Amino acid sequence: MKKRTAATRGKPARKPGKSAARQRLVPTGEATIGPFFPPRYVDAGANDLTQFDDHKAAGEVIEIFGVVRQEDGAPLDNLVVEIWQADAKGIYRHPADPRHREADSRFFGWGRAATDREGRYAFRTIRPGAPRGRARHINVMVMFSGLMRILKTTMFFTGEGANEADPVCKAVPKARRHLLVAREEAHGRYRFDLKLRGEHETPFFDD
Amino acid sequence: MTYQIPARNERTQPIRIVPGYPQTPWRNPKQPLIKRALTLSELTGPAEVAKRVKLLGGDIAGHGERQAIGQLMHLRLRIVDEDGSPVGGTMVEIWQANGAGRYIHPNDDEHAPVDQNFYGAARLLTDDTGAIDLRTVKPGAYPVPTKDGWWRPPNIHFSLFGKVWLSRLVTQMYFPGEPLNGQDRILNAVPDAQARERLVARLVPPTGDPHNALVFEHQIVLRGRKATPAQP
Repeated sequence: MKKRTAATRGKPARKPGKSAARQRLVPTGEATIGPFFPPRYVDAGANDLTQFDDHKAAGEVIEIFGVVRQEDGAPLDNLVVEIWQADAKGIYRHPADPRHREADSRFFGWGRAATDREGRYAFRTIRPGAPRGRARHINVMVMFSGLMRILKTTMFFTGEGANEADPVCKAVPKARRHLLVAREEAHGRYRFDLKLRGEHETPFFDD
Repeated sequence: MTYQIPARNERTQPIRIVPGYPQTPWRNPKQPLIKRALTLSELTGPAEVAKRVKLLGGDIAGHGERQAIGQLMHLRLRIVDEDGSPVGGTMVEIWQANGAGRYIHPNDDEHAPVDQNFYGAARLLTDDTGAIDLRTVKPGAYPVPTKDGWWRPPNIHFSLFGKVWLSRLVTQMYFPGEPLNGQDRILNAVPDAQARERLVARLVPPTGDPHNALVFEHQIVLRGRKATPAQP
């Protein structure tokens, strides 16, 4: 124990800010979401990002959909997919984005969907603009029974010249990069299948 | 502009392929996870997610004629970041089995009865001190359909958002002194003993509750620090 000196007597033993800087806590261990995530947590409309507070977001409406499978190809039912993305101008609705004051107030940027028995999920959203220094993309996470940790990946759009220069795309071995690029099946309809393990395994990130 | 943050200590996080948990070898990536520098995509996030979904009250034990069956308890939960600073105004999703170990979910089979007075879910915002108070009944243990005797110990599930995409967390909390804790395959998937201990709530003396409910305290640490990242 440190003795309090004359210099510190009469002052609080530690300033809250200072003690916080010294003490680094270990993040809590993750666990699987399990098979029983309450259905009412997948709120009606949570997979439609085109509206917020009853207002339509600016930009082009697109659909993103796909099937999630495990190693043997079996589709996964009741798996939770969440996305986070910038608005049509490439701005995130968050104070850490230096441009956040210019963000579209009618776009929230987050959505949640659960897969059905055929492993299908779908979102309606706005085509994101390219955030500074990045190609346009959508951040995706997957939570499921048997996944002890959240899996995180990034979806890119087909035909974008900026993809090859994107720092996240470049972190992926060349032979696997195409697995992160959604296929445009019809105008504005993007298929992004996820394979959690095995052949054509989706690249997931360690962050 | 990209950012770096220190990696988590792997021993404080669960292994991905868990012996005796038969789904895990089919679903977890075979390829190594790819390291990447962080950008605003990970360092922003749906901090105000409660604006997009409905909150659900934190008193799920019921009252009077409609009281759930089980041991009445309060859970005093506190959410902090890695600096120990409270994470205020963050949404926490909570779900659990009823006192007999049954979930309200179409996937749960009929091994235990439904309690008509218990749904088992709360969705709450932390206050300025990062605190949440849940009034519930203690969940029962339940068998896993692995046919080799694996039972989950009583546990409560949490899904947390924190301030940024990187702080998103799904975890489970356990109860002290439960004989099933020592053999649970999910709890014991975390290699570090101290990290496992931190997943176990603390029983504290009951205070203030007219029914003398049990009181448990639990702290969850989200990734991230109070300091915002340097601006690009």
